[in-house]
Amino acid sequence: MTPTPFDYEDALNSCAAGNKRALMQLYEQESSRLLTVVMRILKNRALAEDVVHDAFIKIWKNAASYSVDLGSGRGWIYTLTRNLALNSLKYSHRQVLAEPEFLLDLCDSQTLESEHKPDDFSELAAESRTHSAIYGCIDHLEYERKLCILHAYVDGYTQDEIATLLDKPLGTVKSWIKRSLHALKECLQ
Amino acid sequence: MNQDSHSGNTPPDTDSSLAGQYVLGAMSEQERRDFEVELSKKPALQKAVNDWQEHFLAITDQLEEVPAPLTLASRVKRSVDALDTQPERAVKQSSTGFWSFWNSLALWRGFSAACLVLAVAVGLQSQHVQPTVADPAYIAVLVAPEDKKPGWVIQTNQANEMRLVPLGVIEIPEGKALQFWTKAEGWDTPVSLGLVKKGESISVAIDQLPPLTENQLFELTLEQETGSPTGLPTGPIKSIGRGVITM
Repeated sequence: MTPTPFDYEDALNSCAAGNKRALMQLYEQESSRLLTVVMRILKNRALAEDVVHDAFIKIWKNAASYSVDLGSGRGWIYTLTRNLALNSLKYSHRQVLAEPEFLLDLCDSQTLESEHKPDDFSELAAESRTHSAIYGCIDHLEYERKLCILHAYVDGYTQDEIATLLDKPLGTVKSWIKRSLHALKECLQ
Repeated sequence: MNQDSHSGNTPPDTDSSLAGQYVLGAMSEQERRDFEVELSKKPALQKAVNDWQEHFLAITDQLEEVPAPLTLASRVKRSVDALDTQPERAVKQSSTGFWSFWNSLALWRGFSAACLVLAVAVGLQSQHVQPTVADPAYIAVLVAPEDKKPGWVIQTNQANEMRLVPLGVIEIPEGKALQFWTKAEGWDTPVSLGLVKKGESISVAIDQLPPLTENQLFELTLEQETGSPTGLPTGPIKSIGRGVITM
């Protein structure tokens, strides 16, 4: 009885074939997670719901352009959705906040282990997937570089916003991000 | 000061590094556009982007989940169903039908907010508006879908009325009427607020409505003179916008 994890690639291929049920299954599987990510970026519930709505329409229309050669299907879905969210930021205002502890807790492996007590197989399977190497790798980054990465990814802040928030020159933030990505890449391999 | 950018050992912008920067949103507008051109040509680059995304996702997977409301599922379903009746390759028809605008709803919302100040200013200059703007509690500006031109203002007044006021001369074809609709978050379908005849503004008693909410959608569609036969919008959207509470 091995629980089968959700097959995103298969779901996208079924959407491409015009299977609406596959889209709604994908919706069941992912809508709340997508809304969570978009809400964090936009900090506006109504706008976030609109973005998630638009994302599913776009997934439906563009599913045929996805193939397994393009890597993670789940990654593809989030790339598409996050782009919509980042685009709609141009039209709305949001607060830029520093919440270092909150952000660092998201990828602190100790916190994760103590708080997550998987109580069934499917959660265990999900755990093994989500407990990806990224946590350990991010851990190796220096404090402020870690924050740059997290503000950019989790909050969707621009490099300018991060520079202001951390009171560093823009060039420094850019350079930190590039170096951090380089280090992460080495570490993830 | 800025040692990092002068020390010369910042890693070069390899494809993978650019893909990572793209996923993080760590690019300028121009860099992003250039990268997207490359991206459309290189499947390997798309793979690098999606794989970076999958790695980083593990972080946002730890955010406390915001459950998607049931209404969102039905909205998605309706929009997808509506695509069937409006094939992509059909003759280009701009903004026909009620559901087509959902596809760019986020843009509409953003746009309405961004243009509010400008549009209100326009509204105030118009002789058609008797500005009760001293303390308007609720306001919405409806714009044309094609050119985003502000066409109507909705505002509430002390008499507990919501008025829909044209900002200019409104042309309504013979035998047709504009029907005024609203839909708040969580409503399954829009509700008709009445018909607009040529040269008339329209007032709706607020106490006959559920409380007006932030971001509530208002639109005018072109219908038969007697109104939509189905009780739902059927004709093209002539003007659309969202409400803002301005207390």
